[in-house]
Amino acid sequence: MTAALGAHKAGRRRLFLPFFLPAVSLYVLFLLVPTVATVVLGFTSWAGAGDTPRFTGLANFGELLASDSFRFSFLNTLLYIVVGGVGTFLLAFLFTMVLRDMRGGKTVRAILFFPNIVAPVALGMFFGIVLIFRPNRQGLVNFVLESFGIDAVKFLAPENVTWVVTGCLIWASAGFYITILMAAVDRIPPYLYEDADIAGASPWQKFRNITLPLTWDVIGVAGVLWTIGAIKIFELVFVLAGPGTYSPPIQSWTLGVYVFDRSFGTAGSPEYGMACAAAVVMIALVSVLVVMLRRMMRRDSVQF
Amino acid sequence: MTVTAPRVPKPTVPPRVAPRRPRPAPGSRGLSPLRLLGMAFVWLFTAFNILVLYWLLTATFKTPIEIFTKPFALPYQWFERGDPFRNIIYAWSNAGFGRAFLVTVVLVAVSSVAIVLVSAPAAYALTRLGVRGSNGLTNFIAIGMGIPFQTVVIPLFIGMAKLNLTNSLFGMFLVYVALSIPFTVFLLTGFFRSLPDELEEAASIDGASPLRTFFSIMLPLARGGLITALILNAIGLWNETLLALVFLNENANFTLARALFSFYGAASYQSEYGGLIAGVAIVVLPMLVLYVLLARRIITGLTLGAGK
Repeated sequence: MTAALGAHKAGRRRLFLPFFLPAVSLYVLFLLVPTVATVVLGFTSWAGAGDTPRFTGLANFGELLASDSFRFSFLNTLLYIVVGGVGTFLLAFLFTMVLRDMRGGKTVRAILFFPNIVAPVALGMFFGIVLIFRPNRQGLVNFVLESFGIDAVKFLAPENVTWVVTGCLIWASAGFYITILMAAVDRIPPYLYEDADIAGASPWQKFRNITLPLTWDVIGVAGVLWTIGAIKIFELVFVLAGPGTYSPPIQSWTLGVYVFDRSFGTAGSPEYGMACAAAVVMIALVSVLVVMLRRMMRRDSVQF
Repeated sequence: MTVTAPRVPKPTVPPRVAPRRPRPAPGSRGLSPLRLLGMAFVWLFTAFNILVLYWLLTATFKTPIEIFTKPFALPYQWFERGDPFRNIIYAWSNAGFGRAFLVTVVLVAVSSVAIVLVSAPAAYALTRLGVRGSNGLTNFIAIGMGIPFQTVVIPLFIGMAKLNLTNSLFGMFLVYVALSIPFTVFLLTGFFRSLPDELEEAASIDGASPLRTFFSIMLPLARGGLITALILNAIGLWNETLLALVFLNENANFTLARALFSFYGAASYQSEYGGLIAGVAIVVLPMLVLYVLLARRIITGLTLGAGK
């Protein structure tokens, strides 16, 4: 029988390649090879189809550093990752403190989760209409402000839009991170909280000494998910800050918008080489941030 | 004395009730002002989300004037003119959402099925066949989830253009299937890993071939995971915009998100806000229906990777 099982094991090993190969070849062909190609093309000067790439070394990156649009893109992306991330996680922590033993908590979670399955383009347009500044025909938010006698605000003006996008981002993503963290909080044995209650712990103390240490690993994973999600923010900014068909003002750009504008955006002549260089910056940034985050979050796991 | 004394308090003892969940200790429910403030905030946030949905649903049936001057009222102007579905009809036929809807439904359905068909055997091979290095290979594929699409889109576009696969729905299908593989394989490895070993052994003792074991034992067992993968990919592709923006540039091939994107500029220029919001609703509502029906599966599926 063991021999039969052994033969069977060998037969199963033979299945490996036919099962694994289709997926991995698509993955390599459509994801890895283009990524490597982008890295190589980032060091070339290349206008796009019809032009041949010429190797120019680090010239693209020097040009990126010198250009205002790239500086805005880079700083905005960093802002969305850091400020948006801190805001989202603070909100999620606050919700975990309250939702843990609140009645109707499951319903609240389901409602808060909903924006996550709405297309970012649709979210962007929704906010674009709601936040519009147009005297006498204000969007919803300015309508409410004016009905309270407060002056309407030009939310979508280039100097404000970055913060408005940050707010929208936090609102839209909070539900996802609340759900992840709550799934982890639900696994914490309730007697720990009961003990803490008997000892007279405040909600903050319970959060600091029970919830935080026992969900630390999940927070780490959620942080990585946030980073790889926030680095590619594109549609939301593109439609919220701009007229939709062509790029918004450069003060609101993200790296994703920069790459799109320099390659497929309709305004101006394309510069594929520069777009690839900016894409290389995106990969480098996401790798550095994820590695940093993993380092920061590393510690001995707590058994419970 | 010792006999009668216990008899006296007996009637005051309440009848025993079924075991209940332990009562929260004093101070944990409703008492602290901080907690009340927190709960008020949570409910306010939730109410705001519902208000957003209400605004979207009502605005779909409003004229632009109503949208901006009576944002909270129920729609009435189009109803008075006997044309309540005017916005939806405008978006559906004049702005090309009708065709885009059909294209999207077919493209999303075919792509999601293909993604699962390609990913399920791979996830099975990585978790169940006991091949050395499987963990490393799983990580190698999972890394793909961290690559932003912006970094692959330029070479991919050039390559696909050489093969005449740009501005073609078949090309779009290929790109969607390939780029969804990392997430789907990663999701499904979790499901296959949780299945018990004994069933496979029993099948092999009964003389089932490895291939048959996969198709008639393991796939049915992992059905829950496969359906979750199907739904999550369908949602993701339904909402996908960047790739559609790059690879499709003819109205006839537009997906819904792509059509909405193109319509935005024209609609806001002509103040066609009614049609625009109807377009947003056409993109959002099918997902809302799906979500209401399958909220639990969608939420657990999407948060699975992080919780494990």
